[in-house]
This record gives sequence, C-alpha cells and structure tokens, in this order.
Amino acid sequence: MFLALREFRHAKLRYLLIGFIMVLIAWLVLFVTGLAQGLSSDNASSIQNMKADYLVLQEESDHRINRSVLTDELWNEVRSHPGGSDAAQLGVHMSTLTQEGSSTKFDAAFFAIDMESFLAPKVVEGSRISNTDAGVVMADSSLKDDGYRLGDRIVDQASGTSFEIAAFTEGQSFSHAPVIHMNFEGWKSLQPGSSKHGAIYNAIALNGSTEQMEALVSDIPGIELITKKEALQGIPGFQEEQGSLIMMIVFLFVIAAFVLAVFFYVITIQKMNQFGVLKAIGAGTGYLARNLILQVLSLTLVSLAISIGLTYGVSYLLAGVVPFSLTPSVVLLCSLLFLAVSLLGSLLSLYRVIKIDAIEAIGRAA
Amino acid sequence: MTQSKLLLDQVSKEFGDGDTSVKVLDHISLDIKSGEFVAVVGPSGSGKSTFLSIAGALLSPSKGRIWMYDQEITKLSAKKMNQLRLSHIGFIFQSSNLIPYLTVRDQLLLMAKLAGQHGQEPKQRADDLLHRLGLSHRKSHYPESLSGGERQRVAIARAWMSDPELILADEPTASLDSERGRTVVQMLADEVKLRQKAAVMVTHDQRMLDLCDRIVYIEDGKLSEQPRPIQL
Repeated sequence: MFLALREFRHAKLRYLLIGFIMVLIAWLVLFVTGLAQGLSSDNASSIQNMKADYLVLQEESDHRINRSVLTDELWNEVRSHPGGSDAAQLGVHMSTLTQEGSSTKFDAAFFAIDMESFLAPKVVEGSRISNTDAGVVMADSSLKDDGYRLGDRIVDQASGTSFEIAAFTEGQSFSHAPVIHMNFEGWKSLQPGSSKHGAIYNAIALNGSTEQMEALVSDIPGIELITKKEALQGIPGFQEEQGSLIMMIVFLFVIAAFVLAVFFYVITIQKMNQFGVLKAIGAGTGYLARNLILQVLSLTLVSLAISIGLTYGVSYLLAGVVPFSLTPSVVLLCSLLFLAVSLLGSLLSLYRVIKIDAIEAIGRAA
Repeated sequence: MTQSKLLLDQVSKEFGDGDTSVKVLDHISLDIKSGEFVAVVGPSGSGKSTFLSIAGALLSPSKGRIWMYDQEITKLSAKKMNQLRLSHIGFIFQSSNLIPYLTVRDQLLLMAKLAGQHGQEPKQRADDLLHRLGLSHRKSHYPESLSGGERQRVAIARAWMSDPELILADEPTASLDSERGRTVVQMLADEVKLRQKAAVMVTHDQRMLDLCDRIVYIEDGKLSEQPRPIQL
C-alpha cells in the first residue's frame, strides 16, 4: 500500500476535496436516516413497541386501526377460537385535551387496553393503573416536557370527562401525538353511546403462529388480519413521510456512487501512462487494483468516520427540537452500504486499470 | 566464452491476421553477451519499439524463440512475463517514466516493494545507487523538481535496483540536450561494464553511438549489424 498512501500525501488537495464531498454526502445520508427513524418513532412508537405480532381489524378497514370497529360479540368469538388464546382488545381514539384549569389544547391518542394483558406498557414513573378505576390514565413521558406531572388532571374536549395522570410511560406515540393509556372503564365514559351494543373496540392484538392466524381469519367472518408492519403503514401519513425520506436516502447513495466513480475514473484516465510504466517495470494488475481499492476504501472510511461524528454532534445540538434517532446498528448498516456503494463506484476505474497494457509505456514521449 | 544475456533466434512478429497482417519484425536473430551495450537504430516505423517490446517480455513473438539469461521466454503467461520483467529486466523509458508522487528514493524502493523485499537492505541498496549516480542530494525530491538529466539518472538507478541481467532503454536521451544525454548514456555504459550485465538502447541520437559496443540497424523489420563507427 506503498503507492496509495504516497499518492494521498502528494496530491493532498485533490483528495481532500473529494473527501470533503464524501463527508457531506455521508453526513446527509446519516442525518436524513436519523430523521426518518426519529419521525417514524415519533409517529408510531406505540405500535412499534407493541408486544403483538398481529392485529385483527374489521374487514374493509384498509389497514387503518381508527377505521375499524369491533364489538364485544366478535371479541368473544376470537377469544374462543384456538388462534385467539393470546389476545387483547385495543381501543384507539384521537382526541383534543386540555389541562384542567387551563385552555391550552393538545392532541393525544387514547389507547384503551386491559391493564393485565400483554399490551400494558412499561411504567417509568408512578404505578400502573388498575382495570377498575375509570378516572385515572397513564400518559407518555413526552407530556412531562410540556409541564405535566403525576396527579395533574386532563380534560377530554369532546366528552368533558376528566382524568388524573397516575403514571408515565415511555416511547408511546401514535400519529405524532402522545399516547394516553386508559382502562375500559375510562373508555366507556368517552363513548356514552356505546352501551347499547356493549363495549366497542378498534382492534384485537394477537400473538400466535401463522397457521393459527390463517385459521382464525378463515373461521371468523367480517375481520381482516394485519401484521404490525401493515398497521404502521396504515397510520395516516406514515407511509408518505417515510417514503419521501427513504427516496432521498436512496438518491444520496446513488449520488455518492457516481461522484466517486467519476472522480476515480478521471484520475485513472489521467494516470494511464503511469500505469503502463508501472506494469512494464513489473507491477502486477493485482497490485495496482489493490492500491486503487485501498484508496477508495480509506477515503470512504475516513469520510464516514468524520460524518458520523458530525451527525452525532448536530443531533446533540438539536436534541428535542427535531425528532432524531440513530442507533449504532443503523449507523453500521448505513456505513456498510456506503462502503459497498463506493466500491461499486470504483469498478469502472478498476476495469481501466486491468485493461491497461504495459506496451503503452514504450515509444511514448509525453 | 561469455554468457548470452539475451538471445533471439529467427524472431518474427506480425500484427493482424490473414490478408491484413503486417509483418513488423522479419526473422531477427541477435545474441547479446555479458558486458555488452548494444544500440538499436533505425527510422521511425522500422520496428524498433516492437523489437524492444519483445526483448522486454512485453509482447510474445509470432515466430522464433527467445532466451533470456538461461531461460526460454518465448511462450510465457502474462503473469510469468510480469515476474520476469520484475526480476531480470530493467526499463528506462522516454521522459515520462517516473511516478510523479514518489520521491527519488521511493521510486527505487518501489521496485523492492514490488519484488516483495523489505527491511533495511533495499534502502541501503537504493542509497548506494543514488550515491553512485550523483543523486544523493536529490533523495527526497519529487520528479517535478528535477531536471531532465536528473530524471533519467533516477530512471537508470531504478532500472538497476532489482539487479537485472538486462537493461532496455527506449530513447533515454530524447528529451535531453546532447551534453546531458551523453552523461546519462555514459553512466549507463559504465554500469553495464562494471556489473557485467547487458543493455540494449533504442535511439535516434547518432552522437551516442560511440559509447556503445555494437550497433544494430533495423529497417523494414530486418536487422543488420554494422561495425562500430570511428570516433570523431
């Protein structure tokens, strides 16, 4: 790797410039990825963190939890089916709330669950509420940033019912709004009309094998079964939001590949004569190819390292202002992809290096 | 009897095939012994470059056989030819043959790296060579800051670095004025004598011929040997 390093040292400006472009692209890739992840969890972390594999919805509800209405009758049917042994009801209701004694409004999603079921979220402050007390709820800790504390009371605008925050949970949001978990007693007070038909739910969360689920769908009419992933896609705006960000990331990867490809191609063309001389004096094609690959890899690795640092630096500065989440495994994945893309970009130059004939060195005056 | 360093026996080279083929070299035979410095002259298009490419294991001949030192190299794989060039042949090209981003010393060390030699020994060898060619003070300079004559001297030093049996020089004086050109060729000739190796120099420059032991003319692919011209 004698040649590669010495060339870097000699042509510092050239490689610094291309390195700078790579840093910017990698930085943007990582930042947009972090943003996509942050937005995704801001949008739907309560579904992502849900300990269920499948959701049962009313048929024709288009994978949207809030479009589906399920009755007690259906719940009992699912419950008694062998595939429904590990099931829990879920009620979802988007609502506008105020703090008692204040008129500032905020949006939240009420999640009605059985507090003894697997849907019950982990409590980080306070204690888990029971299934019987209608007046208490558990709120996502993002409400703490807005000044809410344990014991504060919140009022549902539509029904006028008020609830006491008895506990805080973590990582619970739905459709960019914090999730407030309640029991079915509280749920009833939100829906005064529902008593006629018994309780109404939006979904039934299920765990079980694929075969059991298939049997369940074919045995019980009027339902559709979706996976957790499909439920995410069904959240209004989720797909569009993620889609546009992912498109940006894909384009950045393509741009990175082309920038590197063009840069190294031009440099290689410029060095054709030199490669001819090197081959004539006995440098093998393998040696020259290894040098080129080493240059591409080291350039990419250094750029990546710098951009990872920059990304975390900026995310630290912007903490709380933008939803940003970047786990080490995602960084690793992005970095590997970036390396793969840069190698792909060097293929064209590699081809030229392999094709150069040592004879070109003879009879050349330039 | 001195040993043959390079032996060409009835070598022909044709390019293209069938009706369109062009015969560039036509049954050339040449025997170069230890300690000989041979000049190859001829007009443009006479086949000098092809001759040098074949002698330098860059091209395989269409017909005939070639021995280098004690090894037949007529039909070698590209990889074997590469190895052979690395260990047995030193090349000196026209002006552009140094690697621009290597210092003078690194130009020489590259040869050792390519041959897989490490440690202090190659460095010592490089320093000795540079000293002998009067380049010690230029050791850490890049080619861009050297004069044309110095560059060609570095090229000669590089060619000797792998201690080859044969040196092939392709118009080494093309970009030099006659005084500097002469110094460079003189150095090459001295090294050949000193080490009892052999060298072939393709040249246009008639003024250098008196420094050579033998002069070979190529015209229309045919080779003829002339007596050494009387020194002026």
